Amino acid sequence: MLTLADLVFIMLGISALVTIPATILAIISRDLIKAVIFSALQSTFYALMFYLLMAPDIVLVYIAVSIGFMSMILILLIKKVGRYEKY
Amino acid sequence: MGSELHIAMYITVIISLYINIAVCIYGIISKPNLVKKLISLTILQDSINVFLILIGYRLWRPGIILQPPILLDWSPTSEALKQFLERAVDPLPQALVLTAIVIGLAVNIFLATTILHVYRHFKTVDMDEIGMLKRVVIVEETA
Amino acid sequence: MRNIKARDIIFIVLIILAVVVLALPTLLGSLGPLPPTNIRSIAINYLNATYNQLNPGLWTSSPEAVAAIVWDYRGLDTLFETAVFYSAIIAALVLYRDILGEKDVLKGRGLSIVVQRATAISMVGILVVGAATILHGQLTPGGGFQGGAIAAVAPVIAIVVFSRFLIDRSRLSYKHLLLVRNIALACIALIPLVPIISLAIGYSQVFIFQNQVKAVSNFTFPQIIIDVPMGGTIWFFNLFEGLAVVSAFSLAVIVIFYSEDMSRKAIEGEDIGF
Repeated sequence: MLTLADLVFIMLGISALVTIPATILAIISRDLIKAVIFSALQSTFYALMFYLLMAPDIVLVYIAVSIGFMSMILILLIKKVGRYEKY
Repeated sequence: MGSELHIAMYITVIISLYINIAVCIYGIISKPNLVKKLISLTILQDSINVFLILIGYRLWRPGIILQPPILLDWSPTSEALKQFLERAVDPLPQALVLTAIVIGLAVNIFLATTILHVYRHFKTVDMDEIGMLKRVVIVEETA
Repeated sequence: MRNIKARDIIFIVLIILAVVVLALPTLLGSLGPLPPTNIRSIAINYLNATYNQLNPGLWTSSPEAVAAIVWDYRGLDTLFETAVFYSAIIAALVLYRDILGEKDVLKGRGLSIVVQRATAISMVGILVVGAATILHGQLTPGGGFQGGAIAAVAPVIAIVVFSRFLIDRSRLSYKHLLLVRNIALACIALIPLVPIISLAIGYSQVFIFQNQVKAVSNFTFPQIIIDVPMGGTIWFFNLFEGLAVVSAFSLAVIVIFYSEDMSRKAIEGEDIGF
């Protein structure tokens, strides 16, 4: 049957595979708010990967910095400079 | 068998990180908007940090459960220390990645403030238009 | 869908080529066996020596290996990283030198009263969780940066929910935050110099940055607080680094939040010299 080690590695593989569409959509979309939301979604899956790789110090810094702070500063920046990207 | 599943999943994670890095480099080079370049730069920095911690993992042998590198016993005997060494994950990449995350955050905050300043001066954040405006000003000044 | 130009196809081919060039040596074994069969020998030495009382020349009295590496075994790296963080915040503040510290002209009202009361209750909780993470950095995962980043959420939420108009007139102003940050950074610079003061008392030979007893010198920071391992200099470094990080984040956010009328004063006169 599935042991604990098998479950950990399967979850690592699935989390890593889900981040690829999130990154591609974040770079291709022309609405900048959607790009920020896809970037935050990809950061959430990276935080799950940090936890599965047994690094609890990094999880604390990463969630506060990358999902919280960077998203807030980027949304503030987008409000001041303009939301849609001319192509 | 369990071990081949582990190796296949580990290689899958490494290759998906390579794909993320390549797509982010494309995003930095080819999109003209400054905010889009900043978003691609943050995703690139995070992918490289995950890669560093992935290298510090170790193989699961049957009967041993891995643990983070934190000692829970405050007066350990020599036996307890040997068990700790067999189970703990590498602490050195975690210390280096902590430094790297803080430095990346400081650079990103400074870049966001610089983008605001550039917007107030040129009234646009599109690199093609900024290049055209600078060309006009330089031609006027040297005429 | 817009028509696909030739340069899009070239970019897609280049991305696939880059991934193949990186992936082929990895599959053939350039990173070693995957996943690694054993950790490095330097990691084995660090994990062995960090809380081992049989070898008192190398121990750091902190059972957490990551905090011991960051603040004791490789403490000089962290010193320069703090300098880089400090310089980046200074660089972000210098662009607005003319208008720093002045009150804003836009009179806001903040969000509704339900949100304001709920935020006032939860801000206390956020600060307590941040302080607990800072002070337990040598026993559990946590420490200066982690606790500082968690506790910095509270002033940022306060600026958004209560308006900036109210925050300017409270104790969270620019001058107080700058004072807290300068004191914390000065204390971080003074802790490695404390062993030199003990030369006057009677110790014969000490090192700067010294934490515990070494083979040639007898000076030591205290090892235990009541009955819990303290980590010597690690506890002090965590406390002051947490204070510095909280005030630095609050300063950066306060500067970005100025209204457009005030911010345009900072670039007056730039069209004359270019």
